[in-house]
Amino acid sequence: MDMLTFFWLFLKASLLSIGGSGNLPFLHADLIPMGWAKEADFVNAMAVGQVSPGPSGLWSVSLGYLIFGWVGAGLALAALSLPPLLAIGVVYFYDRVQKYQAVQYFSRGLALGVVGLGLAVTFSLARSTIIDGFGLVIMVLTVLLAMGKKIPVIVILILAAAAGIIFYQS
Amino acid sequence: MDDVHLPPEKLIPMDGDDSGLWKLFLIWLGLGFQSFGGGASTLILIHQANIKYGWMDEDAFVRAWALSQISPGINLAKLTIIIGFHLRRWMGLLVCLAGLILPSALITVLMTAGYAALSSNPLMQAAMRGIQPAAIGLSFTMGFQMIQSIFSTAYREGRARFGVHFVLLVGGVALAFNGTISPIIVMLTVGAGTVVSLSIIPANKAAAGLEAR
Repeated sequence: MDMLTFFWLFLKASLLSIGGSGNLPFLHADLIPMGWAKEADFVNAMAVGQVSPGPSGLWSVSLGYLIFGWVGAGLALAALSLPPLLAIGVVYFYDRVQKYQAVQYFSRGLALGVVGLGLAVTFSLARSTIIDGFGLVIMVLTVLLAMGKKIPVIVILILAAAAGIIFYQS
Repeated sequence: MDDVHLPPEKLIPMDGDDSGLWKLFLIWLGLGFQSFGGGASTLILIHQANIKYGWMDEDAFVRAWALSQISPGINLAKLTIIIGFHLRRWMGLLVCLAGLILPSALITVLMTAGYAALSSNPLMQAAMRGIQPAAIGLSFTMGFQMIQSIFSTAYREGRARFGVHFVLLVGGVALAFNGTISPIIVMLTVGAGTVVSLSIIPANKAAAGLEAR
């Protein structure tokens, strides 16, 4: 495996994305055709990213580990840590241009676009992962519980794990 | 409102030794370790710490969070960088980010490694078959939550604008659906579409007043 290409793909995904799961479509588009990662690696990395502490954007560190071990995790972490530094420049730049209406509209449009991308990729993952009624029920219940914002995500995932054990082990 | 621009030394003591930086590192290390369960809980913890230590006033914090949404990378990392830079410039940035990210990343890898080792275990497999649909549900939920504030703004701006936002979002999903169009093209297209359509369709008067604010 080519370390430089690996680092570049993760750095590019992070540079072109806004938000922690924004790099998902880019990594998905690059790594799947190259045969470096499978659909299941993405689902598992995202699951670990949700359960582990810190920003859920660290899911791609998990993906890096699944592809390329500790070196992959380190490279993925470095690739994740560099692009956010541009935020310092953005703060200065935004102070100068925020008075323009078009800037406000465009940033709103970027947000809509990034959410649209995330939803599209999640649909794709759902199609390959949710294969029975039980999965569908868990997914819908999760959305209902998580939208309420009252129940910590970790509790929802523990409940889902317990439900999986009860349903599939018996 | 003046404390937005308070010099950093008034917020965290800048004495000769680096006790301020060390303390800052420990605070963010604690935030990183405590924030199980994804970004929402991390943001809540950072917000609470910001109030407790008086790093920024509420307006500056919200602005920092908003600006964190429009540049590349993990939003929470950008928020951390903006706060760290505000407090102690480049060293503050480094210390806060390292505190938040390093322990969390290490635990993430260990959990992935543990998962790889356990993934042949039937009990673990059953648990993961429960967790995977939940992770997808959480991903959908995050999408819904991310657009909530935009859509409530659009709602205040009138029916026409609300409809346009809905069309733009669905258009983005449709463009991205096959995965054949580059994500950045999708975002720029929706961004340009938003500028054009919102420039043509005016907001209703009450919201226009808000917008000009």
